[in-house]
Amino acid sequence: MCASRLVRWAEKRSPWLLHFNSGACNGCDIEVVALLTPRYDVTRFGIQLEPSPRHADVLLVTGVVTRQCAERLKRIYEQMPKPAFVIAIGACGCSGGVFAGNYPLLSGVDKVIPVDMYIPGCPPKPEAIIDGVVKLLKTLEASEDE
Amino acid sequence: MVSIDLVFFIRSLLFPGFLFILLMSLFYDWVTRKVEARMQNRVGPNTAGPAGIFQPLADIVKLLAKERLVPHDVRSLAFTLAPVLSLAIFIFTLFFLPIDGSTTLSGISFEGDLIVILSIITLANLFLFLAGWASTNAYSKIGASRVLVMFLGYDIPLVIIALTPAFLANSLSVSTIATSQSIPFLFLIPWSFVLFLVTLQAELEKDPFDIPDAETEIVGGYETEYGGTGLAFLKLAKDVQLFLGSALVVELFLGGPYGPVYFDMPALWFTIWFILKVLFVVILGEFIANIFARLRIDQVLSISWKQVMPLSVVSLMATLIVAFWVLPIIGVGG
Amino acid sequence: MNDVNKNLSSMILEHFGKDTVQIESLKPGLIAIHASSEKNRDIIKTFLDADDEATLSAISGVDLGDSTEVLYHIRTHGTIVTLRCIVPRNKPTIASITDLIPGANFHERETADFFGVTFKGHPYPKRLLISDDWPEGVYPLRKDAEIPSPETKAEVLPEEEMTTRAEGTRTVKIVIGPQHPALLEPERFLVDVDGETVTKVTPRIGYCHRGVEKATESRTYMQDVYLVERICGICNSCHSTTFCQAVESILDVEVPSRGKFLRTIVLELNRIQSHFLVLGHAGHEIGYDALFQYMWRDREIAMDLTEILTGNRVITSFLAIGGVRRDLEEKTKPRIMEDLKKLRERAEFYKHLFEEDRTVRMRTEGVGVMDKKEALSLCVVGPVARASGLKIDVRKEAPYAAYGEVPYELISRTEGDSWARLLVRAEEVLNSVDMIEYAVNNLPAGDFKIRVPRRVAEGESISRVEAPRGELFYYVKSNGTQSPERVKIRTPTVTNLYSVIKLTEGGNIADVPAALVSLDPCFSCTDR
Repeated sequence: MCASRLVRWAEKRSPWLLHFNSGACNGCDIEVVALLTPRYDVTRFGIQLEPSPRHADVLLVTGVVTRQCAERLKRIYEQMPKPAFVIAIGACGCSGGVFAGNYPLLSGVDKVIPVDMYIPGCPPKPEAIIDGVVKLLKTLEASEDE
Repeated sequence: MVSIDLVFFIRSLLFPGFLFILLMSLFYDWVTRKVEARMQNRVGPNTAGPAGIFQPLADIVKLLAKERLVPHDVRSLAFTLAPVLSLAIFIFTLFFLPIDGSTTLSGISFEGDLIVILSIITLANLFLFLAGWASTNAYSKIGASRVLVMFLGYDIPLVIIALTPAFLANSLSVSTIATSQSIPFLFLIPWSFVLFLVTLQAELEKDPFDIPDAETEIVGGYETEYGGTGLAFLKLAKDVQLFLGSALVVELFLGGPYGPVYFDMPALWFTIWFILKVLFVVILGEFIANIFARLRIDQVLSISWKQVMPLSVVSLMATLIVAFWVLPIIGVGG
Repeated sequence: MNDVNKNLSSMILEHFGKDTVQIESLKPGLIAIHASSEKNRDIIKTFLDADDEATLSAISGVDLGDSTEVLYHIRTHGTIVTLRCIVPRNKPTIASITDLIPGANFHERETADFFGVTFKGHPYPKRLLISDDWPEGVYPLRKDAEIPSPETKAEVLPEEEMTTRAEGTRTVKIVIGPQHPALLEPERFLVDVDGETVTKVTPRIGYCHRGVEKATESRTYMQDVYLVERICGICNSCHSTTFCQAVESILDVEVPSRGKFLRTIVLELNRIQSHFLVLGHAGHEIGYDALFQYMWRDREIAMDLTEILTGNRVITSFLAIGGVRRDLEEKTKPRIMEDLKKLRERAEFYKHLFEEDRTVRMRTEGVGVMDKKEALSLCVVGPVARASGLKIDVRKEAPYAAYGEVPYELISRTEGDSWARLLVRAEEVLNSVDMIEYAVNNLPAGDFKIRVPRRVAEGESISRVEAPRGELFYYVKSNGTQSPERVKIRTPTVTNLYSVIKLTEGGNIADVPAALVSLDPCFSCTDR
C-alpha cells in the first residue's frame, strides 16, 4: 500500500519524455525543444528528454503520421516499457491539421497508437504544452486508482 | 580479521555502508543537476521535495516500477547481471575509504589497498562495458567499445597520479594516506591534484570526456537497450561511481574526513567534513563539465598520450622531490 | 529582355540554331528555352562550359495530360534560365544529367517519383519521397492519378536491412533515425562504420512527405498561402513570401513600399531566429549543452519581436497576396529598438565565442570540408555555399522586397568546413539586425497591401527568396481559375542534403552530427 503510493509519487514526479516527429513542419518540435530552455525550463518538474524509447515514459508525437512513419511510430511505442503515455501535439497530431486528407498521410496519431492527451495549436505555445503535460500527470493518480 | 556481529551489520548496511552510500549518491546527483541547471541559466528540479532534493530518488523508484523488457537477442545473463555487479562493486569499494574516521568495516584496510581500490574501479568499469556488449544494438556496442578505448587513454595516468600521495605519506593504504595529511596534499602537490581531476573526469565519463554517453551520436551508448530495472541499476552505479571518485580525491588530496572536532564527537564531525569536502569536489567536477564541449575519441586519446601521460610522469618526479628532499626539511609527513 | 539574358539567348541560338531551340521570355528577367528532350544534356553542357559558376537550381515537372514537361532551371550569371523539354507519356525517358551535375541526383529522383519519368543513366534510381508502401505505377502529381486510400498498403519495398556485421568485414551498419536524438525530424541515414570511420552513407528521405505540391492544386490561392507556410515552421515566412511573389508576378501587381519593408522585417527576424536555433543545436550536437541553453534563451528575444509584429511566435501568417496582413504599430517601435540592441549584443558575444572557443573549434574545424568546385557540382545553396567561397545569395542577385534599399552585406568564407558554415551564420545575424533597424527607422508611409483578383489569369512565374538555409525556389503555373495548375517548390535543404554524403564519408562517426547540423538540414522542407 505504502509502496504503491511511493511508486505513484515517483511516476508523477519523474516523467521522462521521448520526442518523435512523425511528419511535422517542425513548428511544434521547436516549441517542444524550447521547453528545456531557460525561459520555460521543464526540468523543474523532473521532465527530461531521453534519447532512447526504452528510457522514456511519455511519448510526445508531433506531425500528421505519414505513411513512411506509421510503422516506425508503432514500433517505438512498443519499445517503451509500460506504463507509457502518448501525447499528440499540434493540430497535425490531433487530426492532420492543414494537411488532413493528403495522399501520403494517415492524418492523426490516434490512427496508429492510443493517445492519452491531445494538445491542439499550430503550433501550441510552450505554455500550452506544459499545461497539457501537467494535466496528464494529474490524471495519473486518478487512473491508477481504478 | 573482520568479526561478524551486530556492529558489522549496522556499519555495512546502514551507516557508513550501503544505505548511507546510496543516499549520499542520490544527494550528489541532485547537486550535479542543480549546478548544471544554474550554469545553464535554468532552475533545475524543484518540485520533488524541498528544492527538488528527492528528484533522483523519484527517478530511481519510477524506473524500478516499470515493466521489465529484455530484448530477445541479448546474452541475457550478462545483460541482467552487468548493471547489478557494477553497482555492487562500486559500493563495496567505498568500504575501504574512511568516512567517519575509520573504514566501514574495521580491520579491512591494509598496506596496498590503494592499488586494490584502483583495480576494482577498473573492474567495475569493465562491467559497464559488458552491459553495452551484452545488448544487440549497434549503438550499445559502439558505446561499450568507447568505454574500453577511453580506458586505454586515461587509466595509466590515473594510477600514476593516484600513487603520488602514497609517496608523500610513505604508505599504500588509503586510511594511512588520509591520516597523514596534517597539511592536505592539495597544497603540497597541487599539480597532482589538477591532473587527478582531469583523469577523474575521463573515468567518470563527464564532459569533455563523456564520449561513451554521447547522446547525439550513439543514442544512449551502452544504456540504450536498458529500460526499467536495468536502467535504474546503471544510473545508480554511475551515481555511486561519482561518489566514489570524489571520495577518493578527498582521501588522497583533501585530508580525508579529518578536520576540527567539536564537543568531543569525532564520528559526527568527521562525517560532516567528509560530506562537505566531497561536495566541493562534485561541484568542481560539474563546473568543469559544463564549460567544455565534448571531445572526439581520437582527440581524447591524443591528449591522453601526448599531454596527460608525460605530465603525470613529470608530476611523479616532482612529487618524489617534494617527498624526499623538501618535506624532511620542513619536517612534515609520515 | 535584359543584357544578361540577351547574351545567353544569342549564345544558345549560335550553338543550336533556330530549328532546335525556341527562346521565350517568361517574365522580364526570365527566359525559357524550348527544346526536344534529346538535346537536354547538350544545352546544359553549353551553359556549364560558358560559365564556371553555372549550376542547377531545380528540376520541375508539369503534367500536360498526355505528356510531361520537364523543366531544368539553371542558375547562371545571377539569373535563372529554364530549359523546357517535353516527354511523352508512352515513352517517358530522358537522359540523366547526374554525370554533368552530381547534385541533380535528388531532383531527378523526385520528378521520377511524382511523374513517372525515367532518367536514363541515373546512378541510384530509387524512391526519394514516396513511401515504401506506396503502390508501384501510381504517380501522385499526374492529374489523373488514382490515389489509394490510407488503409491500402502495397507490398512494402524491402528497406536496406540493418545487420550488425556485414559478411567477412569489420563494417557495422548503424541506422541514424527516424527517431534519433541528433535529429529533430525523421529521416533515415544508413551509415556503414568500420571502427570509428564512416565508409558509406545512404540517406532515405520522405518521412515528412505530406503531399503539399499536390494539395496546392485543390485549394484557392489564398488558402495556399496558409498551406505553404506550414511546410516548415522555421522558415515559414519565406515560403509564404515566395509564393505570394510568384502569384503577384503572374498577376503583374506591385506590392506597396510599406508592405515590402514589412516583409523584409519579418524575413530577417525569421533568419535571426533560425540561425540562433541551428547554432544552439550545433552546440548540443557537439556536447556543449550550456551553449545550447544560452542561445535558445536569447533566441526568445527574436521570438518576442516576431510576436509583437505578427501576433504569432512560430507560424507568422503575416503574408498575403498583395502585401502583408498587419501593420507595424508606432507604439511598438521603442520596444523593438530596445530588443534589437539586446540582440546585437548577444550576437556579438556568440560570434566571438564561435571564433575563439577551443573545444568548439576542435570539434568543427576541418570537419566536413567542401571546396568551391564541389559546392558547385553538388548544387548547394545558402550559408553552406557561402562558407565554401561561393558567393551566391538571392538578396544580391535578384533583390526582392526591400533588399535593394536596406544595408545588405554578403558574408562568405573560404574554409568550407563545419566551423566556417557556423561562423557565416553567426555573422549573418549581425547583418540582419542592422537591416531590421534600418527598415523600422525608415518605414515608408502608405498602404501595406493592395487588393488582388481571386482568379489568376493563365501564366507562369518563378520566384526566389533567400531563406535562412539558402535559395528557396518556387515555380507557379496558373490556369485562369481560383486554384493554381502547378506549384513546384524547391527548398534549400533538398538541394543541400545530397552533399551530406560527401561531408561525412571517410570521416569519424562522431563528426556525423557536427557535419549534418552545419548543413542546417530542415527535413520538413526537404520532403514537403
